[in-house]
Amino acid sequence: MAKSTINVDHVARVEGHGDIRVVIADGKVESVQMRVVEPARLFESMVRGRSYREVSYVASRICGICSATHVVTDLKAVEDAFGVEVSERTKDLRELMVYGSYIQNHATHLFVFAAPDFIGQESVFPLAETNRALFDQALGLKALGNELSTKIGGRPVHPITAVVGGFTSEIPADEYLRLADKLEEAIPFALQTVDLFRSFRVQPLATEGDMLAMVADDHYAVERANAARFLKAGEDFAAARYEDFLEEYLVDHSSAKFARVRSTGTPYMTGALARVNASWDKLCPQAKVAAAKAGLRPPELNPMMNNLAQAVEIVDALERCAQLCHKLAETAGEDTSKPVEFDVRAGRGVGFTEAPRGAAFHDLEFDDEGNVVHASILTPTAQNVANLEGDMLQLANLLVDEGAPEDVVKLEVEKLVRAYDPCLSCSVH
Amino acid sequence: MSGHNVAYDSPRPPRVVVFSLASCFGCQVMITNIESHLLELLGQIDLQYWQLASSAPLPEDYDVAVIEGAVTTEESEALVRKIRATAKTVITVGACANTAGIPGMAADHYYERPIEVYDEVPSAAGNIIQPRSVPSVVAVDDAVLCCPIDPLDFVAVLQRALYGSNRMSSTKTLCGDCKRNGTSCFYGKGTVCLGMVTRAGCGARCVNLGRPCNGCAGLSPDANLDSAREACERYGVSVAEFDKALEMFNQTNPAIKVKG
Repeated sequence: MAKSTINVDHVARVEGHGDIRVVIADGKVESVQMRVVEPARLFESMVRGRSYREVSYVASRICGICSATHVVTDLKAVEDAFGVEVSERTKDLRELMVYGSYIQNHATHLFVFAAPDFIGQESVFPLAETNRALFDQALGLKALGNELSTKIGGRPVHPITAVVGGFTSEIPADEYLRLADKLEEAIPFALQTVDLFRSFRVQPLATEGDMLAMVADDHYAVERANAARFLKAGEDFAAARYEDFLEEYLVDHSSAKFARVRSTGTPYMTGALARVNASWDKLCPQAKVAAAKAGLRPPELNPMMNNLAQAVEIVDALERCAQLCHKLAETAGEDTSKPVEFDVRAGRGVGFTEAPRGAAFHDLEFDDEGNVVHASILTPTAQNVANLEGDMLQLANLLVDEGAPEDVVKLEVEKLVRAYDPCLSCSVH
Repeated sequence: MSGHNVAYDSPRPPRVVVFSLASCFGCQVMITNIESHLLELLGQIDLQYWQLASSAPLPEDYDVAVIEGAVTTEESEALVRKIRATAKTVITVGACANTAGIPGMAADHYYERPIEVYDEVPSAAGNIIQPRSVPSVVAVDDAVLCCPIDPLDFVAVLQRALYGSNRMSSTKTLCGDCKRNGTSCFYGKGTVCLGMVTRAGCGARCVNLGRPCNGCAGLSPDANLDSAREACERYGVSVAEFDKALEMFNQTNPAIKVKG
């Protein structure tokens, strides 16, 4: 029997440590594995006994790229537990913080992680020689995400200003207007990015798993809502009931827990593609046109299209953040983001946001002094890995049936892993 | 500082590798955040291995190793020793590498923790050991502090590694910075702040934005913890709370344990 194994140890251009195994026997794919080999990080154990004041500061360190969303998710969980209602302005600022991480994350993922595969390079750096303008604009877009995060949160990674009940510091009103201008000026390049990713050929896949995204009636939901939807099953649930709908489980080849739909056992995908599918009609005007032009319309089930969905989300984020900045400048002095007063009490709270890579749930339980007695954290990548393995099997079968050589299978499988934009360090939290 | 000035000691551009151990990857992300300076920096070095940014494989030999992250497995401890034996200059970046940082919070009762998170610990997690800083395993030549690092600090430290410098790094504590900045003190508001004992250099970034210092730069060698605890009492701030706050970034520093 002819048996061969395709190994990719330490997949490059993803965040964290992971290995791929594809076993091919007698011209058939025998098995595929996405091995998350990140050392255990034990956040859920570490935050136990810590005060509600510290917990978001610690949880932020789960991930250097989506730190802003981990902070916001944690704050929502604390506020849910204590019954804190924050101001409209605080919600706007949190949304900006989340979108800052989208722009930063998506620009980094698309240009630094994903694009080199499609242009036959090991990294983005040769692009500085071959197309300096594109290289500079790509880094400029990433820098704008960082600037937004820094203006609102105090720095690009691990925000400082966001605390339970509000913000400790805000920029002056005229700085919001300058930010709005910069965001609007970046839209043409973001539209070009959509065109660029539309031009890359991808393998014809259709994920068999479900998709999960935050939903709201009146806007493209990333932070303000608490409802989640399984898109294929058409089933909605409140974030507080996530345990009834999602199930984590252990596999020996991964230090990240895997996740599946509790009732059916099917894996699911979360992230930009799921969000665009869920909220396509609520995209901002230019983003919607760009998506339509690129042929990205729901239901789009090809996981490789997550790259294109991220590009569309950059356009959407720029439009939306510019609007939010105008609103914050206009209402400065009327509404405040100063942390609201609240009473600490024993109880449990669930926070839910859409991180750049997908749905994040933080579940915190406090004693009557506001110290954590139990924590459970569900990150986007932990939810995605099982579905990624399913798609990887489909892809490997497709290519092996076509008689593709091993190096092609290897590259295409790596491209699929990167399309999911996994954060493996996040997934093992 | 290191005795090697790698840029002068070799005719070719210094070969640089970047490693990541247990961490959030945020310090590597911060290195990419020098956007406009990135190419100038890359122009001075031969970046041979950076898993976050490139699929080029790890070379056998290199001059400068940059390490992010804490040591939390037998495998990573062995890797750190190998890196030290190979590289002429080792630079640790971020709190995780320098103080064991947030991963170090788990050091206390470490071996009881994995079963709280996993029913059965997967073999993919590696052979775990109590979290420790890189300098507690091998000698390092230079460090970029804080969580996350400031990318311009990284540039400065890399320049020093490449070209040498007789500038000594300061050991002063953060409190002096707030006085010079004219920011009001958290102790007057009854809130714990670790500025009294934490190494300065960040410019009091958090305090300037209304949040107390959490000590991410690590304890200053000049820190007088007993005196700081007395100051807590004087200001009516709980000493227990002060000690608990210290655990966040300095859990594995033997100095934080109360004497007696």
